[in-house]
Amino acid sequence: MTLRVASFGIRGKVGDSLTIRTAMDFSSAFATFSGGGRILLGRDTRYSSPMYHAAVLSSLLSAGCEVLDFGVCPTPILQFCVQRYDAAGAVSITGGHTAAGWNAISLIGADGSFLEPLGGEAVLDGFHAGEFLRRPWDQVGAVRVADDFLGPYLDAIENEVEVEAIRRADFTVLADPVGGAGCAYLEPFARRMGIKLVPINAQPSGYLAREPEPRPRSAQQMASIIGRIKGDIGFVFSSDMGRMSLVTDAGEPASEEYTFAIIASHVLNRRPGPVVTNCCTTRTIDDVAALRKVPLIKTKVGQAYVLSALMDEQGVIGGEGSGSIVLPSFSRGFDGFLMMALVLDAMAANQCPLSDLLRALPRYHIVKKKILCESSAGYRAIDSMVENARSRRNVRVDLTDGLRVDREDGWVHARLSRTEKAVRVISEAVNRKDAERHADDAIRAIRQAV
Amino acid sequence: MTADAVIMRERGMKEGLKVGVSGVRGVVGDSFTPQLAASFAQAFGTFVGPGPIVIGRDTRVTGDMIEQAVQAGLQSVGCRPVLAGIVPTPTVLVLTQELGARGGIAITASHNPSQWNALKFVDRRGLFLSETQAEELLDVYHQQLFPSVAEMDIPEATRVPSPVESHWRRIESCVDVNAIRKRRFRVAVDCCNGVGAVHTPDFLRELLGCEVFPVLDRPTGRFEREPEPTPEHLGLLCEAVRTNHCDIGFAQDPDGDRLAIVNEQGEPIGEDLTLALAVEQVLSSHGKGPVAVNLSTSKSVEYVARRHGCEVTRTKIGEINVSETMLKIGAVVGGEGNGGVIVPAMHPCRDSYIGMALILELLAATGRSVGELRSDIPKYCMAKDKMRIRGEHAPEILRGLRRIYEGEKLNLFDGVHVDFGEQWVHARRSNTEPVIRITAEASTAEAAAALTLKVREQIESMER
Repeated sequence: MTLRVASFGIRGKVGDSLTIRTAMDFSSAFATFSGGGRILLGRDTRYSSPMYHAAVLSSLLSAGCEVLDFGVCPTPILQFCVQRYDAAGAVSITGGHTAAGWNAISLIGADGSFLEPLGGEAVLDGFHAGEFLRRPWDQVGAVRVADDFLGPYLDAIENEVEVEAIRRADFTVLADPVGGAGCAYLEPFARRMGIKLVPINAQPSGYLAREPEPRPRSAQQMASIIGRIKGDIGFVFSSDMGRMSLVTDAGEPASEEYTFAIIASHVLNRRPGPVVTNCCTTRTIDDVAALRKVPLIKTKVGQAYVLSALMDEQGVIGGEGSGSIVLPSFSRGFDGFLMMALVLDAMAANQCPLSDLLRALPRYHIVKKKILCESSAGYRAIDSMVENARSRRNVRVDLTDGLRVDREDGWVHARLSRTEKAVRVISEAVNRKDAERHADDAIRAIRQAV
Repeated sequence: MTADAVIMRERGMKEGLKVGVSGVRGVVGDSFTPQLAASFAQAFGTFVGPGPIVIGRDTRVTGDMIEQAVQAGLQSVGCRPVLAGIVPTPTVLVLTQELGARGGIAITASHNPSQWNALKFVDRRGLFLSETQAEELLDVYHQQLFPSVAEMDIPEATRVPSPVESHWRRIESCVDVNAIRKRRFRVAVDCCNGVGAVHTPDFLRELLGCEVFPVLDRPTGRFEREPEPTPEHLGLLCEAVRTNHCDIGFAQDPDGDRLAIVNEQGEPIGEDLTLALAVEQVLSSHGKGPVAVNLSTSKSVEYVARRHGCEVTRTKIGEINVSETMLKIGAVVGGEGNGGVIVPAMHPCRDSYIGMALILELLAATGRSVGELRSDIPKYCMAKDKMRIRGEHAPEILRGLRRIYEGEKLNLFDGVHVDFGEQWVHARRSNTEPVIRITAEASTAEAAAALTLKVREQIESMER
C-alpha cells in the first residue's frame, strides 16, 4: 500500500504506485473539475519531478487549461499566487516531507488552499470514472512561463512582520532546504529581510542529503555547526517548504512541534483569535491558547482539514505539529518563508534568542512510533483500543482521526498510516519516561489485537 | 475527412484512431489523448530498451502537449528523451542514427489536417518500424507490462542544440552545393505553416544561396491550405512564382517529407514529376544504379530510369517498404509518386530537402528550366476507380484477376499489379473501406480509363 489518493492530492512511490497514467488521469480529473480554466503549475527538484511535470502539463493542456508554469517553485508560493493570478487552481509536484523515491501531486483550489475535502470529491469521482474534459485541437491550452511573482510575494511577507526591527537585529541565519524547491528563493528572501544567510544543502538536487522531514534527527548537521559560525537561529525545511523545524543558537535541535507553538504565541500576542490544529499536535498549543483565552479547534490530520476549519471558524492562525502554520491574512497554505519571517520577527520583537523563546513555552516530551501490520489488523487493533479506552474512567476519548486518549498528564494517539501498512502512535507526557511508557502500552495493545 | 474517418463515423465510433504500421494517429481531443500518447511512448521505450530516444515534432497546435506526454512516458520506462523540437520528420530519422539513439518518435500526422496528430516510431537504424516490428510494438502495448524504474534511475531529458545541422551536412555531402550557390536561383516556397516555416527559407538561403520568396511561412500549425501538396492546393505558390519571376516554386507538406514543384510559368508540374526529376539528376550526375518505387508511382520514373539503362523495382505501398527494398537491392534513388524522394546516400527516408537540393542541382547542371526538363518526359495519365464488394469476396476476386493476367508481367505484393510496358493497371483491396481500388496509368486519359473499365467488367463477371 504505497498510494494515497485524496481530493487534495495523490502520493505514491515512483516506479511503483504513482504511475504516469495515474498522475495523468488525476490531473485530467482536476482539469475537468476546474472547467479547463487557468492553472498554475510548479514542481520541486526530486529526480522524478520533471517527468511528472511533463505528464501533468500535457493532461492540463488537453482539457484546454491555460497553464502558468512556475517551474521549480515551493508549494506555498503557488498557493499564495493562485488568487493573484485569478487562476482556477494550481498543481504542485513535490515529494514534500516524504523519503527519497516518493513523490506527490497536490491540488490547490481557486482560493489557494489544498482542495477542500468537502469540495474536491468531484475530482475523485472524475478520476475513478475516467471521464475527462477534452478540448478539440484548436482549443487545447497554451503554456506561459510565470516569472513576475516573487516581488509581490516578498512584499506580502514584509507586511506580516516588522522588517526594520529584523534588519536592526542583524541576524545570522542558517537555512537548509534539503536541495528542494526553496533553494533559489532563500537568497532573495534574505536580502529583503536584511539577514545574513548561511545556506546548507541549498544546491537544487534530487539527491536528499538528509531526511526531508524537518525534525531534530534531520537537524543534526546544522546543530553541530551553528555554534561555530555564531548563528542566531537555524531553519530546517521539507522539499516543498511546507514544513519547518528549528535549531537554537545553543545548538539544540528543537522538536518540530514547537514551530507552531513559537509562532502562535507571537501572532496571538498581536492578534488574539481562534486557533486551529489537528488532533495529534502537542499540548503546548492547548496551553498557548488557554493562556490567551482563545478557542482552540481540533481537526483531522492534514493541511486541507486544518485550513477548512480555519476558514469556518474565522481563526487567526492554524498549524500542525509536523512543523507548519498558516495565516489566513496572508495565504491559504503552510508557508515556510512566512514561518521563517515570523520566527525572526518574534526574536526581534522580544529582543531575545530562540532558546529564550523556547524556554518561555510549557514543554512536554513527545514520542512518535510506528508498528508495521496489515491494514485490516490495524483497523481491528484500533477498534479494540477504542472499546478499551471507553471502559476507563478519567480519560477523554476523541475519534476525530484515529483514536486519541487524553489523561491528566498526557495523551496517546493512534491511527492507521495512509501510505504504508502501519499504525502510527504518538504519545506526549510531562516527562519522557511517562511518554515512552504510554506509547509502549499502546503498542502492546495493538500487538495483542493483531 | 479521410475514408476511414467516414467509416468510423458511420459506425458511431470515436473518430479515426488508427493504430498500424505507420504508427498511431487520431483526432486530438477525441480518440488521440495525452494518456494514449504516453502509454504508446512507454510501450515503445519498453520495446527498444533503456537509452536515448530522439523526439521531434511538426508545428501542430497540439504538438507541445503530445511531446510532454511522450517525454514523461519514455522517462517512466527508463529512456532518455532527446528533444529536437520542431523539425522535419526526415531530420528525426537522421538524428536517431547520427546520435546512436535507441530509437526515435516523430510527432506528426504528416499530410493529415490540423485536428489530427500521430506518433511515428523509428528504430535504431533511423528507419520507421517495419511491419513486423510494428506488430511487436503493438504486442508490448497490449501487454501493458512496463518496467518500473526507481526514482534515482529516471533519466533527465536533454535538448539537441542545432537539430538540423547533421541533416544539412549530409545533404551538403550528397549534392554540389557550390554549383547551386553560383546560380543564385530565385525560389518561391510554400511551407504550409509547417516545419518548413521554421527551416526551409534558411536552408535555401544559407545552404543553397537562393533568393527566397516564402508563402505560408508562419509556423502556426493552422494550415492555411490543404496539407497535401497536390496541384489544386498550390494557387498561392503559383502566384508567388509569377510575381517574383522565380526559377522554381517548391511546396512542402506540414512535416517536410513530401515535395511538389511549380515551374517558372507558375504551373504545378504534378507530384509524380518531383520523383522523376530527382531520379534524373541522381542517375545522370551521381552514378547509375537500381531504382525502387512503390506500386502506385507513375511510369515517368521508369521512363527516366530506362533512359539511363537502370532497373526499377516496384514495392508494396508504405514508406518503410520502399526504404527496405532500396537497402536490399542497393538502390541509389527512389521513393513514392506522391512527392516522396528517397536518396539512401543521404538517408533512406522521404525528404523534401534532399529533393529540393537535387532539383536545383539539376537546374544548375543542365542550365535548363523546369518547363524544359519536364517536357523531356512523356506525359502519363492516371485513372482511378473503386468497386464496392463484400469483404469476404476480395481474396477470390484478386485470385481471379491473377488467373486472367497470368501471361503478363505481374507483381503480387499488394493485390494484382499488371505491367504492360507503356501502361499498367493495379487492383487492390482497400485497408479502410469495403472496396477494391483500381488504378491505371497510360499515355492518355482515355487509355487509362479503358484499363480500369476492363478490370471492372472482369470483376463484375466474376461476381455474377
